[in-house]
Amino acid sequence: MERISFEDQIQKNKVKSFILIVVIFTFFIVLGYIISMVLDPSYFFVVMVFSIIFSLLYVLISYYNSDKIALASVRAKPASQTEHRMFYAAAENMAIASGLPMPRLYVMESEEINAFASGRNPKTAVICFTTGALKKLNKQELEGVIAHEMSHISNYDIRFMTLTAVLIGMVSIIAQMFLRSLWFSNVGGGNRDGRVQVFLILLGILFAILAPIAAQLVSLAISRKREYLADVTGVKLTRYPPGLASALKKIKSEHVSERERKHRVAKAMAPLFISDPFKRKVSGLFQTHPPLDERIKRLESM
Amino acid sequence: MVLWLIIIIVLLVLIALMFLFYYNRFVTLENRIDNSLSQIDVQLKKRADLVPNLIASVKGYAKHEKEIMTDVTRARQALIKAPTLEKRMKAGAELEKFIGRLFAIAENYPQLRANENFLQLQNELANIEDRIAYARQHYNDSILSYNNLTKRVPGMWFASMYGRTAKKYLEIPAEERAVPKVGF
Repeated sequence: MERISFEDQIQKNKVKSFILIVVIFTFFIVLGYIISMVLDPSYFFVVMVFSIIFSLLYVLISYYNSDKIALASVRAKPASQTEHRMFYAAAENMAIASGLPMPRLYVMESEEINAFASGRNPKTAVICFTTGALKKLNKQELEGVIAHEMSHISNYDIRFMTLTAVLIGMVSIIAQMFLRSLWFSNVGGGNRDGRVQVFLILLGILFAILAPIAAQLVSLAISRKREYLADVTGVKLTRYPPGLASALKKIKSEHVSERERKHRVAKAMAPLFISDPFKRKVSGLFQTHPPLDERIKRLESM
Repeated sequence: MVLWLIIIIVLLVLIALMFLFYYNRFVTLENRIDNSLSQIDVQLKKRADLVPNLIASVKGYAKHEKEIMTDVTRARQALIKAPTLEKRMKAGAELEKFIGRLFAIAENYPQLRANENFLQLQNELANIEDRIAYARQHYNDSILSYNNLTKRVPGMWFASMYGRTAKKYLEIPAEERAVPKVGF
């Protein structure tokens, strides 16, 4: 039974990644259409050709470089073989236990205990830990967290999650730019029907606001289930639930200053991490991760 | 008439696809099993490769512990010479036992314990021991999914057609499973 659901998960992630790419692709083309309508219909063809080329490039570059973009956005550096010996040893153990190729290891500067995995398939996978995690976690905890990340890798969660983070993260930036340009553009003047123009502008604004929110909500809804699943499959590798449980407890009890927390991590990257880097207190729709207490409880009852 | 023909053809194609699917599934799982075995082998060899360095560093501080050193060397020789993987695994377990004993003896030599080189070897050998344990676990996991396929319906029928039978798990050698005695 486990085997089947596992493969289902892989298939689902591949399909979802594909759908996401198609959605983002059409989003840009529609956006191009709206922009050309708002600015000047005589530029229609130029804008459309530009937007098709742009969205094609955008999607392709994101697909093949999503892991690099994710790593660059948190300013991660490759882990050194000599300095992070325990990190390498633990990752190698988990690679052997899962039968996956050894992922490339990265370290990001942060006092907070956290980690994420990225890449488009197990062969190109990377695992990134914070310096705080490497400092504060012991070997069992480290293996527990790596095993959790390894399950994200083998499930192809990494492909979907990184694509979501990169594609949507960029969309929100571009949507903001679009809004700002509307503000400064010559809205009132022109020789066209004012009503149509206002309608298009309103549509554009609505679009720019709603699209990233909707896309993010989609990613949030699934990422919670993903975390539970990765916890369980991770434990199958270590055969030691207390390892991950005590790592999660350390995450829960640590106090990191507000300033420390805010820098470096972009909001769109949050679903990738093992625990929410923003430590949002509000539960419900906007929560990217299941509550730590619930995860710890489940691990302890294994 | 034509309708019946289409239905029959579709059914035949489906059955052929199932045959292909199960054949590939068996091959994939068998490859995974082979792969995990070779992973164990690689780690066993790595361990054997580290032994001469270990002996050399111990010799510098504990010359008269000859007995354990010959034991370790002998176990290493047995491992290198073993012709089959099964025998190599057995020899590997033997070597692991002696290396463990060597480290226990090393506890009596503070200078040796403080030696950088020795500590590094100890660390590396402990890592290898972990890796072997995880490789064995992966092997058994692979066997489990293979056996599940051969024993459950409908994989069971295909297994008998392709001449595939359930495989054996790796057992922990008896002496390893016994709780070590602690003497005072």
